[in-house]
Amino acid sequence: MSARQAAHRERGSRSIGLDAVAAGGVIALVAAFAIGSALRPERKSDPVHRRATRKARDGAAILGASVLMDSAMEHFRGGFHNRAMVLAPATAAASIAASLAEPRPDRTGRLPRLGHALSFAVGAAGLGFHFYNVTKRPGGLSWNNLFYAAPLGAPGALAISGLLGLTSEALSIAPVDGNRTGNEALAWSLPEAGRGLALATGGSLLVTAAEAGLLHFRGAFHNPAMWLPVTVPPATGLFLIGEAANPTDSGREVTRWAARGVAVLGVVGTAFHVWGVHRNMGGWHNWRQTSLAGPPTPAPISFTGLAMAGLAALDALGSEERSS
Amino acid sequence: MSGRVSVLDDAAELRPRAVSGRAPDVFSREDCVPMAQFRDEEEVDFAIVGTGCGGGVLAAKLAEAGGSVVAFDAGPFFRPLADFASDEREQEKLYWLEERISDGENPIELGSNNSGRCVGGSTVHFQMVALRFRPEWFQARTKLGYGADWPVDWREMWRYYEEVEKACSISGPIRYPWGPKRGRYPYRAHEVNAAGLVLARGAEALGIDWAPTPLCTLSAPHGKSPPCVYRGMCKIGCSTNAKQSVLVTYIPRALAAGAEIRDLATVGRIETDRWGRATGVAYFREGRWRFQKARHVIVAGYSIETPRLLLNSHSARHPDGLANSSGLVGRHLMVHSNHAVWAEFDEEIRWYKGPPSMACCEHWNYADDDPTKDFDGGYAFMSQGPLPSDFATSIVTNSGEFGMDLRARMAKYNRMAGLKMVGETMPQADNRVTLSEGKDDLGLPRPRVTFGYCDNDKRLYAHALDFMGRMIEAAEGKNRFETEGTAHLMGGCRMGEDPKTSVVNADGRSWDVPNLWVCDGSLMPTGGGVNPSMTILANAARIADRMIAAGRRGEV
Repeated sequence: MSARQAAHRERGSRSIGLDAVAAGGVIALVAAFAIGSALRPERKSDPVHRRATRKARDGAAILGASVLMDSAMEHFRGGFHNRAMVLAPATAAASIAASLAEPRPDRTGRLPRLGHALSFAVGAAGLGFHFYNVTKRPGGLSWNNLFYAAPLGAPGALAISGLLGLTSEALSIAPVDGNRTGNEALAWSLPEAGRGLALATGGSLLVTAAEAGLLHFRGAFHNPAMWLPVTVPPATGLFLIGEAANPTDSGREVTRWAARGVAVLGVVGTAFHVWGVHRNMGGWHNWRQTSLAGPPTPAPISFTGLAMAGLAALDALGSEERSS
Repeated sequence: MSGRVSVLDDAAELRPRAVSGRAPDVFSREDCVPMAQFRDEEEVDFAIVGTGCGGGVLAAKLAEAGGSVVAFDAGPFFRPLADFASDEREQEKLYWLEERISDGENPIELGSNNSGRCVGGSTVHFQMVALRFRPEWFQARTKLGYGADWPVDWREMWRYYEEVEKACSISGPIRYPWGPKRGRYPYRAHEVNAAGLVLARGAEALGIDWAPTPLCTLSAPHGKSPPCVYRGMCKIGCSTNAKQSVLVTYIPRALAAGAEIRDLATVGRIETDRWGRATGVAYFREGRWRFQKARHVIVAGYSIETPRLLLNSHSARHPDGLANSSGLVGRHLMVHSNHAVWAEFDEEIRWYKGPPSMACCEHWNYADDDPTKDFDGGYAFMSQGPLPSDFATSIVTNSGEFGMDLRARMAKYNRMAGLKMVGETMPQADNRVTLSEGKDDLGLPRPRVTFGYCDNDKRLYAHALDFMGRMIEAAEGKNRFETEGTAHLMGGCRMGEDPKTSVVNADGRSWDVPNLWVCDGSLMPTGGGVNPSMTILANAARIADRMIAAGRRGEV
């Protein structure tokens, strides 16, 4: 709160308002989706293969959108007092574009891959920055600092977005029915790629649920619905990891339903957070303050993104029987 | 918030608002909630004098248990959203500023730091520090060799701390460094502000523990209360209802359970019959004296008004005042020494942001074996965030700085931090409340408050000033200076196990008049080195259960 704001005020830096940040965020989102879609022509290939790839990339894009809006708002709240703080929303926008672009094995396809790698790298570096921010305060790695200093889990979401993007690239170049695309040496088979994606998504669900758990614990689970994101997604995450280790038809069906539940939860959670903002002093009339002080409205939808990647992984895993 | 600006008026202070079967809805700007109403001649189960930490809790719990309850308060019934301004002068309406005579070797300054006058009592303006007594303090005489024992086991009190902490949704740390393990606070601690981090830095430099202060303001929504927005106007009344004062917690509960609250109603006397039993209370409301019949009278007016009312209710059968056969009514009055050290810092602190005391240190409440500890009792201290005129007043009073000197000092307001103690004082019989010759506007004798520090008290605050000075220097504070003062009131009608050495028993029931009870901070036999509000609330919750249990046994 005040230490951060004071530091920022003393630097006499920017005077853009929250409305400008919100508008900028929306423009960035629209632009990212536009660029991504332009790089995404129709392509003839295996339906399962394509469906899975697209679903995974859409999931990564949703996750990127969540990170873009969330980091823009939270870093605005922190007054962008460290210039590196603009990297988070900027990279998230790049990650959205990269996720929406159609993967290509040729030279044009290198740009999206670079975008995913960048997201992963910036996310990982952000983790380091946030960890430093937590530990440099009096109390060090204390609950108060975990709650209120830079959130440890948040940059992780950016890294996850990059990771999902990269994994979906592997999915896209996986050979289907012997129809090799040129990168055979590196390529996984489709079920292998599905396995990798299931593992990545499952792990990401666990990590994201841990972040939600920390912050919902900070909110004292004052609404019983706050238990949902700390129970359903981690269970789904474990199912996905289980499927990656030992895929079965019945397990896949259960996991698919769980993942659908998580996808719905992302939307329901957003509605709850909108309601939660209203419960702060002044409600949405006072949105310039309450949208920053209340629960982060862009955060829950990240579960929908992860769930879609999970569903894509399940599609890929299930392709084995159908294609053979 | 556009379209929500209204002009502040003083309607609440001029005319009672809890009338015609309706009471103010404290969560609204102008609405009311239904309220039960009793006729004066109807003998209610309980007439409660005061609606703060003692009376508010009793009104809620006794009404919820099915008792008919009328609770009186001399002050107004505010709706914080509409009636509170972010202005120190305006908000003086929350304090009990009626003329009282304060004398003795160290006369107490009365008002903002120790007494409230509105429905909800002092909790409407308290700084929300929600600490528990150290277990041994309940047996201070037996275990620590000073003061007096409480007639209550500490474990019982700790259960009630838990109850009232839940009722007030206290936001506290997950790990509290001092005392026996406690359950989790209902809400998580708030983010420690820059002023609190000064204390934290100093504590870490000196190698002692510190903690985010458990506070009586929300860190997440609860019911109709929004979480705290860190405006920092807490001490002059929270205008968002994030502060979980008795006004927004127990009073709505009491009303919902069928209790009647009478605002702007000053109780002047407790009447007794020829057998010496209380028959009800004489009170002044809407321009005239009235009489409310009651089976039981509970006095909850805090350490000055409770003794004042008991002493003024003398009769042929009780010539020295009600419940005063021991001669102890008004005696053993205690305060907390509230001395402080202040310093300037290179960086901006902006200490007014957030609740005023976001970090605390109870080290000296528990460090019995430290060789430098040359006093009985203990003290806690907290980071500070005084509002401007409060701070300027404190500088003028303590240093005499004025004019350009004061201006120069106040120019550094945003780069200052301070540590202020809550220091235990010893219960001394001669520190007391008596009735003076002078009369107030209603013809009631004005109270005389006599107070002086003993040698132990002086050693204690000298130790604290030295220690806090070292800590603020360790936190890199410069141009340090000190101020003195007092906060809180305790004692005046101590409870105990012996009618000769106490005014009431462990249930708050007077030894002399079986249907007369006391339930507020005046019961405290010792003051402890922590802010007293949680202890008064917990004790009231305990007494309520004792009364309800006695009622079931047919003894009430």
